[in-house]
Amino acid sequence: MSAFQDFVVLSLVKAAPLIYAALAGVICERAGILNIALEGQLTVGAFAAVAASFATGNPVVGLLAGVAAGALVGLLLGFAATRFGVDQIVAGTGINLLALGGAAFGLTVVFGQPGASAEVPALGVSGERIMVIGAFVAAILLHLALYRTPWGLRTRASGENPRAVHSAGIDPRNVRLIATVVGGALAGLGGVYLSLAELDLYSDGMTAGRGFIALAAVIFGRWTPIGATGAALGFGALAALQFVLQRSGVPSEFMQALPYLAALAALTGIAGRARAPQADGVPYAEV
Amino acid sequence: MIRGLWIGLGLAVVAAAAMLLAGANPLLGFWALFRGALGGERQISETLVQTTSLLFPSLAVAFAFRAGLFNIGAEGQLVIGGLAAGVIGARLDTSGLISIPILLVAGAAGGAVWGSIAGILRARFGGNEVIATLMLNIIAALLANYLVVGPLHSPGAAGAETAELPHSSWLPTLLPDTRLTVALLIALALAFVLRWVFDRTVFGYELRAAGDAPEAARRAGIDLAKTAFVAMALSGAMAGLGGATIVTGVLHRFNVSLSPGYGFIAIAVALVGDLDPLKIIIASFAFGILQSGALTMQALAHVPKDVVSFVEGLAIVALAARRFVAGRKQMTAVAQE
Amino acid sequence: MLGREPRRGAELDRAAARAEVEKLSREYGLAVDPDDVVETLPVGIAQRVELLRELAREPAVLILDEPTAVLAPAEIDALFATVRALALRGTAVLIITHKLQEVVAHTSRITVMRAGKVVARLETAQTNVDAIARAMVGGELPELAARMETTPHPALAVRGLGAGESSLAVRDASFEVRGGEIVGVAGVEGNGQSALADAIAGVISYRGTIALGGITLPAGEPARRIARGIRTIPQDRRREALVLPWSIVENAALGDQRSPSLRRGATVDRKAARELAKRIVEGFDVRTPSVDTSVSELSGGNQQKVVVGRALAHDPKFLLVYQPTRGIDVGAAALVQSRLIEARNAGVAVLLISFELDEVLALSDRVIVMYRGAIVGTFERGSIDRARIGSLMAGAGLQTGPVVESA
Repeated sequence: MSAFQDFVVLSLVKAAPLIYAALAGVICERAGILNIALEGQLTVGAFAAVAASFATGNPVVGLLAGVAAGALVGLLLGFAATRFGVDQIVAGTGINLLALGGAAFGLTVVFGQPGASAEVPALGVSGERIMVIGAFVAAILLHLALYRTPWGLRTRASGENPRAVHSAGIDPRNVRLIATVVGGALAGLGGVYLSLAELDLYSDGMTAGRGFIALAAVIFGRWTPIGATGAALGFGALAALQFVLQRSGVPSEFMQALPYLAALAALTGIAGRARAPQADGVPYAEV
Repeated sequence: MIRGLWIGLGLAVVAAAAMLLAGANPLLGFWALFRGALGGERQISETLVQTTSLLFPSLAVAFAFRAGLFNIGAEGQLVIGGLAAGVIGARLDTSGLISIPILLVAGAAGGAVWGSIAGILRARFGGNEVIATLMLNIIAALLANYLVVGPLHSPGAAGAETAELPHSSWLPTLLPDTRLTVALLIALALAFVLRWVFDRTVFGYELRAAGDAPEAARRAGIDLAKTAFVAMALSGAMAGLGGATIVTGVLHRFNVSLSPGYGFIAIAVALVGDLDPLKIIIASFAFGILQSGALTMQALAHVPKDVVSFVEGLAIVALAARRFVAGRKQMTAVAQE
Repeated sequence: MLGREPRRGAELDRAAARAEVEKLSREYGLAVDPDDVVETLPVGIAQRVELLRELAREPAVLILDEPTAVLAPAEIDALFATVRALALRGTAVLIITHKLQEVVAHTSRITVMRAGKVVARLETAQTNVDAIARAMVGGELPELAARMETTPHPALAVRGLGAGESSLAVRDASFEVRGGEIVGVAGVEGNGQSALADAIAGVISYRGTIALGGITLPAGEPARRIARGIRTIPQDRRREALVLPWSIVENAALGDQRSPSLRRGATVDRKAARELAKRIVEGFDVRTPSVDTSVSELSGGNQQKVVVGRALAHDPKFLLVYQPTRGIDVGAAALVQSRLIEARNAGVAVLLISFELDEVLALSDRVIVMYRGAIVGTFERGSIDRARIGSLMAGAGLQTGPVVESA
């Protein structure tokens, strides 16, 4: 395979978990929940997948466990944000801490050692390929769901004007809750990819801020599934580029920092001052 | 207050459950935690060291919160402040009366610059400071790593850290043979100063107005952009100062791992302390106990110390209930009247 | 279609929804374009969309909350025609409103509420506006302060003012407000009043000039305006005038926190602020347990009194008043209006923007009418023609050019 083909493949590999996480971010934010906890969801997804695979010897069970774990964290965030009036930013930060600590704790409990797990049955190369394709399929499905189905209509409405949704007879808090759970499941999938598809183990901090890069991708992609996927691809290419340039004089830290710098640039409106959903991050309280 | 106690109880139960899961005895675990934190003069001094390291970023976070800004970047500001102090300190060899103030100011300045980046993004471009500070955290770590291993490498240093600071630049200790330094006094003084600023000064008045009712503040002639910028810069300065005190007082060098997440735990501390500087002192002490007792808990009761960060994260989620930073977009969507 | 989306399989059936909108639009005579983005619509038309959505659900009970706040007189008639037809078909219609004229003209039965309790049930045919007003207040309506002779002197001059965006903008507005007079801006909500108010308050950028006492004001600097003696009573007191969690004392200082009277060096002069708060509470009959009470615990009327009291406390030269009696009880409204007249008597230049035509007509020395951001008519107090003004508010003036009627 030519170097260029290698580069493309590597970009896709690096982009896949970002796509899953970014799609999760898009669902949540379109519904009105600012999901800072993507990083935590990736973490629990990755860890749960490895733990379950270790316990059952079956990587597919691991995959399901990862999805479930992400969904569960989404449920926690959703509940906190919609039922208990917890500030979404703060809840997200708490969940990230919780997830990191919980996963590290889990490492010792399940594997008896801190730092990294043992190697476990993983999804292998074919599994990796399926998950990469799956990311794009998920993007298309989400696009269709958001713009062509009643569920999508209600979800988007909840992110713009929850009061109007409520007066139409639908509880926007439930809509938001569903969104965070579905988003959590997607993010969990992203975590599964990191631990069971790209590798075959879990190690402390392996998510390496991808959850935050995914947030940047959501902004760049103007809160649309296709846009966010495109942005995630771009960031994946950046990561692959870092690999290629490893031998050149460019410091690796600079390459690693590029996605975050790009996100900062996005905040200045370079990527166009697209509007976030109007009620993004605003809790809806029943009178 | 009562709700807080219930939540505390709930968290203790969760912690106990986690300990059981780890195959440890919860009672032993709690005992080890408190013994490790408060069991003797050395232990208490260590707890106070942790308290000090938490107090700076917690005040920073609370300060920004009061102005209506989410400073999630205290961690990065702390690192940059520590970096500045460490890099300069490793090369500066003069009387402590000169070097220590320089290093502390350098730390505050570094943190202020780092906080200002997010401040400018917010003030000038309206960029969400949550995302900005999150990104800046990671960029700070990467930058520090690069500088300390590369261009600003001090001779005699091994790994991702600077050389040791000369003894004259070490912060004077409060108790001999401990790591407890005058940094604690500086932090306490800072808390009192902040309380005075909030309650009495015009600057504090305008800051609080910007945080509690930005539209009303704007029409009252308060410059929101300037306030946001200044708040982020000062907040960063406080966190940076904290980093500098860790470098000059605790580690006596800059190391990229100088913070086990103080900047994030600070968010919990700020919330527990109701954004009030004096209550934050108490909250910092409580969390300091958790931090310093955790290692003992791990050693004696074989409870993985990560259970502490798990509980801290849970605390943030539980305690933030209805903790609206009023005035920000986070106002309820229910329109009144 | 939100909430009852027509489906084709798993997908939304947009064509069916569109057909339904068109059918309803014809049936009820509410003209809308199904493809318009609601955000871009003028408020009156957006309200039609709201109405259509509710009518599409074929309600047994329809509740309308202040439905005519954003409508011109002609549109109000159309709305009530629709509502009447609906009622005749058997729908129960409940209208919540403070517009007594409309209540008397279009309803069958009236329930009057005060402070959360029902205080009167009346048959429309057997009552009148005065009786309803008395029931609302619980007694006689307080008299408005008397207007006195004044010698108006030049104060605020606005030339070629343009501000705001698209359909909500104000365009090329020129007028004067003199000290000792109240100039009232009549118009349906959404015709540029907010842009006008924000430009004068200095919170948005604008073209043209605004000058006070001959000195041009710099754009977008509320602090300078306050220093020059301009005070505003904003439209939304909860968001734009008060810091809800704070006490009356702390709110009293807002806007003047840097002035020498409330400041001692770098600190706030709490004693002075406290005294100011007490003066406001006493002078404006603010019902509160103490000046340390949080304003969030005050009723809307008392909150507004605090805002008005604060605005008048430092002898302003020019007062911008936007919807001063919105959502407050009739007694508080009368007090606020009286204080505005007294300010005018004392030589303050007052610009009153209100969507209540009655309020504008009752208080103003001169009335200017706004439509689509332009001033389409000016009337001196002696030659106020209510019908004329109403039709200008609805857009009649665009063909004939601005109308100026002097006494």
